[in-house]
This record gives sequence, structure tokens and C-alpha cells, in this order.
Amino acid sequence: MTHLSDDTFETFLAVLLSQDTINLQKMTFMDPYGMVGLLEAGRYLVSNNKRRTMILPESGDVLKYLERMDFFRFADRYFNIVSETPAASDKYMRSSFTDVLLEITPIEKSDDIHFIVGRAKKRAHKILEKHLHYDERAINGFIVALSEVCQNIIEHSGNTGYVGIQKYHFQKINRNVVKIAVMDLGIGFKGSLSERVSIKNDIDAIEKALLQGMSRYEDIGRGHGLAAVRRFVNQWNGKLSIRSGTAKLSIIPEWAWGKEIESNLTYFPGAQINIMLPEV
Amino acid sequence: MITYNIYKLLKEELKNGSSDLVTRWSGRVIRERIERDITEEDNGEVIALDFSKIGVIDYSCADEIVAKLISRLLSNEYGDKYILLTGLNDNQKENIEVALERKDLAVAAEMRDGMRILLGALNNYLINTLDVIQKKGKITAKELSEIKKIEANTSGTRLLNLHKKRLVKKTDEMRNGARVWVYEKV
Repeated sequence: MTHLSDDTFETFLAVLLSQDTINLQKMTFMDPYGMVGLLEAGRYLVSNNKRRTMILPESGDVLKYLERMDFFRFADRYFNIVSETPAASDKYMRSSFTDVLLEITPIEKSDDIHFIVGRAKKRAHKILEKHLHYDERAINGFIVALSEVCQNIIEHSGNTGYVGIQKYHFQKINRNVVKIAVMDLGIGFKGSLSERVSIKNDIDAIEKALLQGMSRYEDIGRGHGLAAVRRFVNQWNGKLSIRSGTAKLSIIPEWAWGKEIESNLTYFPGAQINIMLPEV
Repeated sequence: MITYNIYKLLKEELKNGSSDLVTRWSGRVIRERIERDITEEDNGEVIALDFSKIGVIDYSCADEIVAKLISRLLSNEYGDKYILLTGLNDNQKENIEVALERKDLAVAAEMRDGMRILLGALNNYLINTLDVIQKKGKITAKELSEIKKIEANTSGTRLLNLHKKRLVKKTDEMRNGARVWVYEKV
């Protein structure tokens, strides 16, 4: 495997869960979903007393990407890191922040959301205005959507998580795209909503939360955050995917690809959310 | 009118250096502080919540602070008080409005440029009545009847409904030797 992104994560996850060593040597591209997913998978395994060995990519560019996203700040908590390239572990020079909107950041408490919002606001004009051509109103919508999607972890998961955001030039569509990945290892959508209503399966739970605005809390003001995220992504012609347990639901615009509903996936706890926003 | 500087409350309560009203947890902390302070104010007081130094306000925080405050204000949990939102920008207005509409609530607000608006959900005939009060400053049921050419009991009911929603103040005044109810903008 040479790419680790939302497109290839399922295959990668199955391999990671079944093998003692994860070999990233031939990796040429990793997006925030891949990086955050790798960390969360490692965290999940460590919580089950299984610590995998990770062989780092040979590509200097990929290593720089990982470094710029602060991947190594967290990776050695969950993996035994091995580099087959001489001196690779200390050669990643930190480049400019021109494409990083938010490094991989833990979400454990309310103050973390304030930090995430503050950091994203500082860089939003440089990245969202310049590369996605967002105006002030769109940038505000982005920040609010980011806040809502991240605080779902604190409000509903019963666990902690990570978020990472990066801008890419997407050659497939020749447009700039911002990718947001938010993941946790909590009770998942089914576990959360089951506290209040009868839920058939993971896809039923994701649909109820995303499309019907259902929350585990009865208060009429609840359940609006994720619905607002969906509205924002729709408004700006983005792609939104939510994976939880063994299912994944995606809202796919005309420029993107993938299946709207996937089930019987490899079980993974919590929720994994991927948002892709193209330039306008 | 007493002004609560929300930015100052945010600094005092959260102590995390943020100027943004984000997360339900933060909203709960700020609302509880406002609730403690409001109950200390005199009856009849208008409390202006000043958002002018606040950055982003997300939906969850807007629900936790504004929608819950207004909902409890209407349940008389804070006594005979009134709430006005001030110093709003367009983005804050939009997010607060969604939170209010979801709970069928409304509140008077003043934008950063000084423009008075109504945020949230309200019947058209009450919006219409409120417009008259905003223009005149204060009004009696009789005066409203004359202006809108409606029955006296209809105008009285409309004014009473606006007062129940805490969108207008109700006081009594002596006019031509008789005591009358006067409704005025908050």
C-alpha cells in the first residue's frame, strides 16, 4: 500500500489489526484521516495490551508531512517506531505552515476545543481565504462546524480523540481541498443513541444522528451540532463521511467518489469523521 | 439598563485566554455566572448581554447560554427582568438565531452598528406590534388600537403576549387621572 487516506483506511485497518508490524516504507501519501486513523488504531490496540511496531516511510516528503502534522508527538505512545532509513528519525525539518490548518491535536476537554478554534481561526484566512476562496461568513461557518464536530467527542463519546486538518492540491480534480479528520475511541453513535431510543445497527444510528438530528439527550436544543455540520458541508459542496462501529455513511458531492452506505466493515470503536471541502 | 460584558465573564470564568464562546460546557459555565448575577438585580431591570468583544459563538454554546437563559426568563426563574443582546456581529446573530428558533423563542438584540433587531421566532402580528413599540418607544393598548385600527382587547392581548415573552416592559402610569398600563421597548 502506498497511500493511507480515507479511501484506503479500511484495507489498512484490517492489516494493522492482524499483524504485529505495520510497514509504511513504501508510503507516498498520508492524509489527516490516515494519520489520525493510524494513531487511533494504535491507541485502540494499546488499550488491549497490543503494541505494534511501525516501520517509517522511506519518503522524506511523507516524513516531513508527518512531522508538520505533529504525528510523531503522539505516535510513540502507541507504536514501537523503527526507521529503516539512516538517521530518518531526526532529519525531518519542519517546513512552513502553509498547508497545515491544524496539527494533530488531542480532544480531551472543553479547553481543547477553545485551543483548536483559536488555532484554526489564526490560520483560516491564510488557508481558507487564499486556497478555498472562502469569505468571512464561510470561514465562520467552518470554525463553528469544526467546534461542533470536535465537541461531539466530549459530549457523547465518553472517551477522547484527535483532530487534524490539512490543505492539499487534489490533482484528481485539479482543485485545492481542505481535509478534516476527527476520531475517538468512545461508545460510538449506536452506543450513544441506544441510551434513549431503539437502534437497529450502526448505520441506523449514524442516519438518526446525522439526518434526523437525534441526540441521546431529550432537550430540544440538542442534536443540532452534527446537523449544522452537515448543512455547512452541503452548502460548500463538501464531502462528509461518518464511520462508527462497522458502518460508514457518506454524503458525496458530484466531484467526489465513494459509496453512500457501507456496512459489515471491520469493527472499530468510537466514531471516525472525515470532511473534505473543495475550493469555490 | 445594566450591561454584562460577556468577554469579561468569559475571562473570569474560563481563564483559558479564549475570546470564543464554544462548547456546551463553556456555555453552561457562563450561563450559570449570568444567572447568579441576574438574580441579584432589581425587578424591572433590563440586562444587556454585550457580545462585542466575543469572537465565534457556536450553536451549542448559543443554545446553552442564550436559549436557556431566555427559556428560564420566560418561566420567571429570574423574577421580573428583561434581557437584551448587544454588540452582535452577523455571524453571532446567525448562530444565536438558530438556537432560539429551535426552541420557538425570541429576544431583542442590537447589532454592532446599533441597529435594533428581533432574533428568533415570533408570530407576524406580534412582530408588527413590536415594530410600532420600537418606533414610538412606549405605547398603551388604546394607542395601539388607534394606530393599527384593531379592537382594544386585541391590542391589549398582543401587548400582553409581548410582555409575557419579555420583549417589552410593562409599567403603569397616570394619564388623565387614570392609571393605565404602558408597554415600552427594552
